[in-house]
Amino acid sequence: MSRAALSSLLPLTVAIPLVAAVLAPLAARLWRQLPLIIGMGALLASGGLLTAMAPSVYGGQLLSHFMGHWLPVGGASLGIAFAADAWGLTFALVTAFLGALLILYSLSELSGLGSRELGGYTCLFLLLCAALIGSSLTADLFNLFVWFEVAALSSYALTAFFLERPLALEAAFKVLVLTTIAGFAIFLGAALMYANHGALDFGQIQNDLRAGARPADLATLALLIGGFATKAGLVPFHGWLPDAHMAAPGPVSALFSGLMVNLGIVAIGRIVFETFTPHVGHDVLGLLMGMGLVSALGGAIFALFADDLKRLLAYDTISQMGVLMVGMATGSVSGIAGAAYHLIDHALFKALLFLCAGAIVHMTGATKLSEMGGLARRYPALAAAFTVGVLAISGIPPLNGYVSLGLIHDSLRSTGQWIPYGVMLVAQVVTIAALGKAAWVALFRSRQSDEPFERDDRLHPGMIASLGVLSAACVAFGVLPNVVLTGVASRAAGALLHPVAYAHGVLASGGPITGSLVSFDYVSPLGLVTVLATIVLAVPVAWAAMRWGQSRPVEALHRVQSGSVNDYAAYAVAGLLALGLILSRGALA
Amino acid sequence: MIVGNYLSAVSLFSIGLYSVLTRRNLLKIVMGLSLMESSTYLFLISLAYRAHSTAPVLLGPPGHESTSTLVHGSVADPVLQNFCLTAIVIGVAVTGVFLAVIVRIVQHYRTLDADRIREMRG
Repeated sequence: MSRAALSSLLPLTVAIPLVAAVLAPLAARLWRQLPLIIGMGALLASGGLLTAMAPSVYGGQLLSHFMGHWLPVGGASLGIAFAADAWGLTFALVTAFLGALLILYSLSELSGLGSRELGGYTCLFLLLCAALIGSSLTADLFNLFVWFEVAALSSYALTAFFLERPLALEAAFKVLVLTTIAGFAIFLGAALMYANHGALDFGQIQNDLRAGARPADLATLALLIGGFATKAGLVPFHGWLPDAHMAAPGPVSALFSGLMVNLGIVAIGRIVFETFTPHVGHDVLGLLMGMGLVSALGGAIFALFADDLKRLLAYDTISQMGVLMVGMATGSVSGIAGAAYHLIDHALFKALLFLCAGAIVHMTGATKLSEMGGLARRYPALAAAFTVGVLAISGIPPLNGYVSLGLIHDSLRSTGQWIPYGVMLVAQVVTIAALGKAAWVALFRSRQSDEPFERDDRLHPGMIASLGVLSAACVAFGVLPNVVLTGVASRAAGALLHPVAYAHGVLASGGPITGSLVSFDYVSPLGLVTVLATIVLAVPVAWAAMRWGQSRPVEALHRVQSGSVNDYAAYAVAGLLALGLILSRGALA
Repeated sequence: MIVGNYLSAVSLFSIGLYSVLTRRNLLKIVMGLSLMESSTYLFLISLAYRAHSTAPVLLGPPGHESTSTLVHGSVADPVLQNFCLTAIVIGVAVTGVFLAVIVRIVQHYRTLDADRIREMRG
């Protein structure tokens, strides 16, 4: 297909899931399972369209389409542009296909729900997926805000959807307060941007910023980073994340953690690298690096001491988002390629782990690690899938985490950032300890209590299929690193590192973007030694955590995460103020 | 006075934020967020204003103006006003979800105190 024809298909990738979201509740009146099947079909169709664009985009083209053909005049654009670059398309593809897989899983686990519930659930699920695809493709700041709000609204409803646990209500309220504050930040940021530059199109803003930045642009940048960092769950904007994941059922947690939080990362990448490019100096990258390191280490430590399995995984999501941010903040090709690679990896293994956790809750009724034990003998398939996920997060070859973590570590070493490198290694040790401990306690250690489990269900075929596909994908992305690297991740890095080509391509309805070359040495001695050393060090850490998990310093640590919505809002506001202050101290380059 | 607008926007925002950070009553938190929201609208409408400008309606201009003079600068910026319209619609939806969640919380917990609804911590 020609480039123009492909570009004109861009709006359809969002429109199909949106239309299906409207149809889903109606379809539920015909047949209870129909909405889920429609939803899966819609996401697969959307994914198919995106796949049709993939050869062209990963071949070095930018596809751009102006809604309603409101083309820019003299470089000034009033229309809303959708632009598929390798960075956004990667996330859109992951969303469409992983979303379809999660619906397949829901079909099996949630099939006991009534027709009204299934219709509503599918509608919200599809709205969230459509918003994620839209936000990864849009090239318009205000449009990005609108997709953010669509994602936010559907996530509120999904969090509070399953009312059998009152916890869901508490979680929904915290998500609502924090995301609303983030929404204000992004809204004000977009307005300030328009007021200062008279532009909302990323390409046009970049061109205008090239002519010079004003002090108000610092406030804009701080507001936008703070707003999207809330969605990404970075410290100190993370308060909502563990609660939201804990209350929701498996597929919803997998959707939140595997896909929704990435919206923040993708948007920050776009804003920092593709919009503010001429003014991104060490201060902005240093800020992102700091936020990433604190999240990576802090999330891992909280995960180590968490007793609820889903809460543990949610804290690990904070940690992994920090890792992604660190990769991006190196500003180097291999770091950003590593971040793009890790984004795919994290979506796969975290979805796998959350589905396993959801399956454990579904089958046994146990939510806390201390109530579990010996599950490997009862459910060998589930145990195998969970183990694959844990090994992948731990960065053990030949699973996928090894490559992306290796790339990010390489980039820190090659840019000579030794302190961040050290922090990342410590975070990795703690992460391995936390997840290894969880796997040991839940699956392999014999159970501590003699009471029978609340429920005794078995794995359904749809659940086994989804877990199998995700495990296979974890292996595939690990053993074929060069295909993914040269084909996808290096192209995504190229898109972020060639912002001028992006700006030109968006405004000219398409254009070339060159990729960047990244290589990864799969059997480098240093990489393998690092893996071995982190695992060896993780064993005593995990043992210590099990031994002293109830001690007083740990209790003090828990008090930081106080559960009070006022405190979480205060953390977020303090974080926003700190962002503004730090950015204004190192005035824009 | 446009400066007055900015000052009121900032003070409204601060009052709202104060209530979000210090009030434990769920309804008061939502009211605080609503105040913050309205202050952003006021701020945007003020950003859109230009000195001596009229509303951005280009058909049937007032007596001494023509459409072309309107286009060249004596109307308020319609884009920022559009932002507000979009955000008001979103805001209504969010407030609706907020209140629905609060109603269910009260049914379950029989309290509006945020400090007594924090089972998830640590």
